[in-house]
Amino acid sequence: MSIEAIKEPSVIEGRPTFVDIDEQISAPIDKSPNIKYFIALGITSTMLLIGIICIGATFFYGIGLWGNNNPVGWAFDIINFVFWVGIGHAGTLISAILFLFRQKWRTGIARFAEGMTIFAVMTAALFPLIHVGRPWLAGYLFPYPNQHHLWVNFTSPLLWDVFAVSTYFTVSFVFWYIGLIPDFATLRDRAKSRIKKIVYSILSLGWRFSNRHWHNYEMIYLILAGFATPLVLSVHTIVSFDFAVSIMPGWHTTIFPPYFVAGAVFSGFAMVQNVLIIIRKIFNFEHIITLNTLEKMNKIMLATGTMVGYAYGMEFFIAWYSGSQFESFVFVNRAFGPYAWAYWIMVSCNVVFPQLFWFKKIRRNIAIMFVIAVLVNVGMWFERFVIIVTSLAHDFMPSSWAYYKPTLVDFGILIGSFGLFFTLLLLFIKAMPVISIAEVKAVLDGAQPHHTHNGGHNEK
Amino acid sequence: MTAINYQRKELPSIMLKTGVLLFLLGLIIALLGYAIDHERAAFNGVILLMFVMSVGLGSLFLIGLEYLVGADWSVSFRRIMEILAIVVFAVPVFSLPLFANLHTLFHWTHIEDVLKDPILKNKMPYLNEMFFSIRSTVAFVLMFIFWWLLAGRSFGQDSSPREDFRKVTVRISALFMPIFAIVLTIMAVDWLMSLEPHWFSTIFGVYYFAGTFSVALAVVTLFAIYLNENSYLGEGIGGDHYYNFGALLFAFTNFWAYIAFSQFLLIWYANLPEETFWYLHRWEGSWAVVSIGIIIIHFIVPYAVLLPQPAKSDPKRLKFIAWWLVFAHFYDLYWLVMPTYSSGGAVFGWMEIYPVLISLGTILILFYYFAKNKNLLPIGDPKLPKSINFHL
Amino acid sequence: MKNKMIYGVTGIFDTPDEIISAAKQVKAIGFERFDVHTPYPIHGMPKAMKLGASPLGYFALVFGLTGAFAAFALMTYLMGYNYPLIISGKPFIPIPAFIPVTFEVTVLLASVGTVLAMLFLLFKFPNNSHPLHDTEYIKRVSSDKFGICIEAKDEKFREDEVIEFLKSIGAKHVEVIYYDNETLNFKVNIFEWKFVTFLVVSALVVSGATYIVLNKLMFASPFNWMMEQNRIDAQVESKFFGKDNFSMRVAPVGTVSRNSNQFKFSGQPELADAKLVNPLIPTEENLRKGMKKYDIYCSPCHGYHGLGDARLNGQFPNPPSLHSEKVRNWGDGHIFYVITEGQNSMPSYSSQLTNEEKWAIVLYVRALQRAMNAKEEDLK
Repeated sequence: MSIEAIKEPSVIEGRPTFVDIDEQISAPIDKSPNIKYFIALGITSTMLLIGIICIGATFFYGIGLWGNNNPVGWAFDIINFVFWVGIGHAGTLISAILFLFRQKWRTGIARFAEGMTIFAVMTAALFPLIHVGRPWLAGYLFPYPNQHHLWVNFTSPLLWDVFAVSTYFTVSFVFWYIGLIPDFATLRDRAKSRIKKIVYSILSLGWRFSNRHWHNYEMIYLILAGFATPLVLSVHTIVSFDFAVSIMPGWHTTIFPPYFVAGAVFSGFAMVQNVLIIIRKIFNFEHIITLNTLEKMNKIMLATGTMVGYAYGMEFFIAWYSGSQFESFVFVNRAFGPYAWAYWIMVSCNVVFPQLFWFKKIRRNIAIMFVIAVLVNVGMWFERFVIIVTSLAHDFMPSSWAYYKPTLVDFGILIGSFGLFFTLLLLFIKAMPVISIAEVKAVLDGAQPHHTHNGGHNEK
Repeated sequence: MTAINYQRKELPSIMLKTGVLLFLLGLIIALLGYAIDHERAAFNGVILLMFVMSVGLGSLFLIGLEYLVGADWSVSFRRIMEILAIVVFAVPVFSLPLFANLHTLFHWTHIEDVLKDPILKNKMPYLNEMFFSIRSTVAFVLMFIFWWLLAGRSFGQDSSPREDFRKVTVRISALFMPIFAIVLTIMAVDWLMSLEPHWFSTIFGVYYFAGTFSVALAVVTLFAIYLNENSYLGEGIGGDHYYNFGALLFAFTNFWAYIAFSQFLLIWYANLPEETFWYLHRWEGSWAVVSIGIIIIHFIVPYAVLLPQPAKSDPKRLKFIAWWLVFAHFYDLYWLVMPTYSSGGAVFGWMEIYPVLISLGTILILFYYFAKNKNLLPIGDPKLPKSINFHL
Repeated sequence: MKNKMIYGVTGIFDTPDEIISAAKQVKAIGFERFDVHTPYPIHGMPKAMKLGASPLGYFALVFGLTGAFAAFALMTYLMGYNYPLIISGKPFIPIPAFIPVTFEVTVLLASVGTVLAMLFLLFKFPNNSHPLHDTEYIKRVSSDKFGICIEAKDEKFREDEVIEFLKSIGAKHVEVIYYDNETLNFKVNIFEWKFVTFLVVSALVVSGATYIVLNKLMFASPFNWMMEQNRIDAQVESKFFGKDNFSMRVAPVGTVSRNSNQFKFSGQPELADAKLVNPLIPTEENLRKGMKKYDIYCSPCHGYHGLGDARLNGQFPNPPSLHSEKVRNWGDGHIFYVITEGQNSMPSYSSQLTNEEKWAIVLYVRALQRAMNAKEEDLK
């Protein structure tokens, strides 16, 4: 076999020097943004404004403005919550799980994906607050005794959610910040203006690139990755418990935990990929976020999409196999009942279209992969819609069935959530290094001493 | 390409002797068992079947995974997995006595009871002897085909490497993954879940997969360490390979616990009578002890042993924990199968030993014979030098 | 440069291979207080510098176990002992349902605790006044060069020798680092008025914010239309019932309780006093029953011991003590009468209490009175 076949391509293309890396990555921070950036910011903040208006109206008039009706008491709010928490999962997967598997291609996208995790979780955390209707009472979610000396109910999956999401946010944030410290120090030493220097000095905590520190730093990175990995599984597992511990047909399925996690990673990768395609174009990061990286992400999407397909199939099979009338009805109703349109959007976007990634040409075609990733996000949003709405709308008693129709306010809040997420993301791109300077330097060709192996182990 | 320092060494005959001894001992107990109490023997036969399948199919899965993710480090012991996967050919043999005893094993084969029971009647299109046999046969055939495609083709590479071998095998592995998932799920549902035909759980296939993965990896780890320590692998593997074994075993110990806990919590919490009875059977009398034991044996002990960083690359502790995980998988299967045979309390006697003896004996014998005249390193693989020099 | 204290000597190298070998040589000579500065972690450097294993794993273990134990113990205590409630038919201590929260708290404490321990205990951060900051050296090693620094505190440190040594092992650029005099002479004065003011202001702000959050914000209700309904609340005056303005309605005249005879002595307390006899004997069972009912219905106004120390302070006029001469001299029937008919602002309790319960209360009131005015012979 020719030597090319076994030589791993470098994860960073174009053989840049360390100084090049510094300059390219800090370019968006140093330069003042161009008009395209402001147009983008304008669009996202308009979306955010729509969301704020709709949320304000909801608080003022009450959640009667939403389409929720009697059997369907949970709808857009929870769908959006689950959707956004899921988006966050890809970031942790890239930064923690791929780190544990020593996948070097993650370095170019890890920081960015971690940032997305934090913003996605922030967006998601908005929805439990909104949907309680009286958000100023959200303090009661936290474990402390109320005036009757009664504590929160520790056996409720909704409380587990509070713990899971707040832990997830905290740990992701700490992980992200730990990664940023050396980069802040680099920016500090590059800074020309006094204010920037002071800000970066404070943020970098006085990091001085000592190898006595790097030694512990690498250890903490490993520990945090080790904790973040089960944590990210637990978060969507607990989100799935919100549904699966109930006895609602279509919700009470034992495969929910791994199925939700796979789905979360699936949609998260789609979102990361969408945003990265745009970022690498705008900021000329094509040699750091390479086509090979995008192709690998597509492979992961293919894998997780197929896992989700397995879960759909298994659910259907067991619904019939169980012999439970309600279970079988719910699944037949999903596929052929009044919400069949949503079901088939979900199946086609999540299971059918990603199968195109079997073809290498499609995996490496940016336009097509962008479209497929958008479809995956649509499909995953509809997956939550199908799970939540179809089960509630047609539960045990036909007399209490009803058809759920979202209102404009529902859509406004959905648009607003996208606005919040992308606005935060745009601000992040301007304010902080979106690619880890230290990590990228460490995987450049020739960055490591020769007496140990050289790039020996890129995968698994 | 650096030269590979590898001299083929024949495996010691003690391996064969031990294997034959274990196998014969197991066979005697099994025959005696079938003669005395064929029901109990048949239930133990299910444990035997599923264990051997775990090892064989699990090894195939590991091979497929290696090609698919393009892993380098595992190339130097891939041959062990390829040889180990040969045990898939023993799976149909072990299923023969069970096919002869379908009536004793499976309640759903009693047509007269099934017709009286609306739930079982509903399942008749799936749970009937005809379709059951077809499914198992197709699964066996698929295992054989993929053994040839994933493992069998690799041996020829030693003498005459082909340019496109890896490229083709990667594609086969991709094709194998969904088929593996379906085959494994069907086998788990058919041979384990349908022992209690009223019960159902969507995660059951994943649960069996979690056990399969960890036991296959444990057996591969054992072979790799023993062969390496007696220098059958040349310079094949070193400390950092050990670390990866340890880390993966640790990861899949956690994965198993995650899946097992998910299944239990959801059923326990929702408390629906059509689901909880399965766990209640495993909580009656002395089964409660066995049920608590599975938490300790399959999770707490391996977790605690593998948690410290040095443990993951210490061959002594790795060997211990790999043996332990082999035992844990037997225990898991015992816990899955036997409550159907003896509800009300756990039984353990001389007969329960035969699945262990036969499966270990089979693995040793097949490995010995199949490894004869074969290199234990895939010396034709261009990735091999990189794997040998693998460092974290 | 004079009068400056020397911190150490630094040397800059160009490639990772060079810095690894430099670190090995520095260590081999026997320097202990030296450090290597590189823009990213270099494989094999801990080995070259002969650093011991990182202690962070133990921190994580300790923090993790603390979190796990604390969460599990807290939940067990709260759900099982402090305020046991049956929730969805589960045991009071449902162990499987505790696992998710236990896991999350373990992870939270272990990861955050370990990070804080690393930054603040091991690294002693934040430290922006370190002598290396703002030197040419740190600007190079933060970007693309690899540096080594031998500190003056090392026993083997001789300035000239070290400079020569670093040059001899291939350092491209050697720089001597001095302490910054201003930083060195800076003395912390905690009684400086700026600092004291800062402390006072932050204490005020924190306590004020805490007070507002816990006492006001948590009970604030910006939009409470749902609560402001035209409904009648218990214990609140209601103009709707113009006759007596009681929102708690009494039963219509002539209502007969299913379990009791009609009260014959309505409006005739003296007659009741004279004619009625308590049918219950003071057994422990009867007294306990009386105590229970008394604590529920009478104690809010009369107090647990009949002293008239109402818990509803201020909302109603406090009733007189039950230990007055007058009440002690009443017959049982009179007390029964007051419970049944009410007196002054005390309403009738006929709709809440059966006759038997009323008599039990009478027994208990008698017991209270006797306890409050115990005679010497009672003690025998």
